[in-house]
Amino acid sequence: MEWRVIELETHDAYTNMAIDHAVSDAVSSGTALPTIRFYKWLPSAVSIGCFQSMDDEVNIEECQRLGVDAVRRRTGGGAVYHDSKGEITYSVIGPLDAFPTGIRDSYAMICGWVIDGLSGLGINAEFAPINDIVASGKKISGNAQTRRDGVLLQHGTVLYDLDVRTMFSVLKISKEKISDKMIKSVEERVTKVRNFTDASQDDLYKALMKGFTEGKDYNVGRLSEGENRSAAHLASTIYCTKPWNFSR
Amino acid sequence: MEGTARQKVPGGKLLIVKLRYGSRIEGAQILGDFFLHPEESLKDIEDSLVGISYDANEEEIARVVGAVMDRERIEAIGITPEAIANSVKQAMKNGMESNRA
Repeated sequence: MEWRVIELETHDAYTNMAIDHAVSDAVSSGTALPTIRFYKWLPSAVSIGCFQSMDDEVNIEECQRLGVDAVRRRTGGGAVYHDSKGEITYSVIGPLDAFPTGIRDSYAMICGWVIDGLSGLGINAEFAPINDIVASGKKISGNAQTRRDGVLLQHGTVLYDLDVRTMFSVLKISKEKISDKMIKSVEERVTKVRNFTDASQDDLYKALMKGFTEGKDYNVGRLSEGENRSAAHLASTIYCTKPWNFSR
Repeated sequence: MEGTARQKVPGGKLLIVKLRYGSRIEGAQILGDFFLHPEESLKDIEDSLVGISYDANEEEIARVVGAVMDRERIEAIGITPEAIANSVKQAMKNGMESNRA
């Protein structure tokens, strides 16, 4: 199978989610190849799972004060703080028959590409079902999947660095919990590439690119005009809107 | 009356149930960091809770939710019909307690 790989791009949260949606639609209609894309978030953003409440999970006032975007994903899972300098995000979008039928097995397959990438930096990571990757027993990558219209979309992040204090200020956790003790507790459960290596973020990207593409027939490509139009439309009519982001 | 229950499903994900109810459930919202395929089917589960008697027990509620999940071929990760039923009863209990207080 031939893949399209879209090299690292930086967009705001609404555009990033809209691109995943637009590419999923294009793959579903057969107008785009199965696609792997890498991206970052500018400004930094919070994304919440599609079954979460924005008001319950996110401190919107603090997001506005800090200029942090807040968006609802199409996928389930939890609220994530995407630091513009602290992570690399990827999406894998392909027809269902390109992946194992079982949800757990399909997570394992795609997470395996991340694990291969991290091993290129000397980081020994492993799949932690259902949707995480851990290194030294701590979460280094979270993932979420949706399956619609014959297409599987999995997006996930690899933590390069982590600004725990900002994360706590934009995610709704009571002020009392933003104590050093709580931060320590997060650092006991979550880890980052920087804890294992001096590799730069560009090194991480190159390692992930290798992990995702090795052994695959692929072309480096870009979004078609139709996908760009569709993404712009989806961003403005869904992902930027209050009815979507505050639907729960 | 309104009631909310939060639980980390054993071996699963966070599940929050918000209920509006009198002698029967009038409205239900299910929230959390679980996964459900297809995602739109959560509304079918929420709708299936409406009309359930306040006196229904967990087994009865789980049966209703399980039937919808079977019928709509819903695949859930991190929550189960039993966990939803447990949270529904807990939300009713919490609603009663906060109403008394």
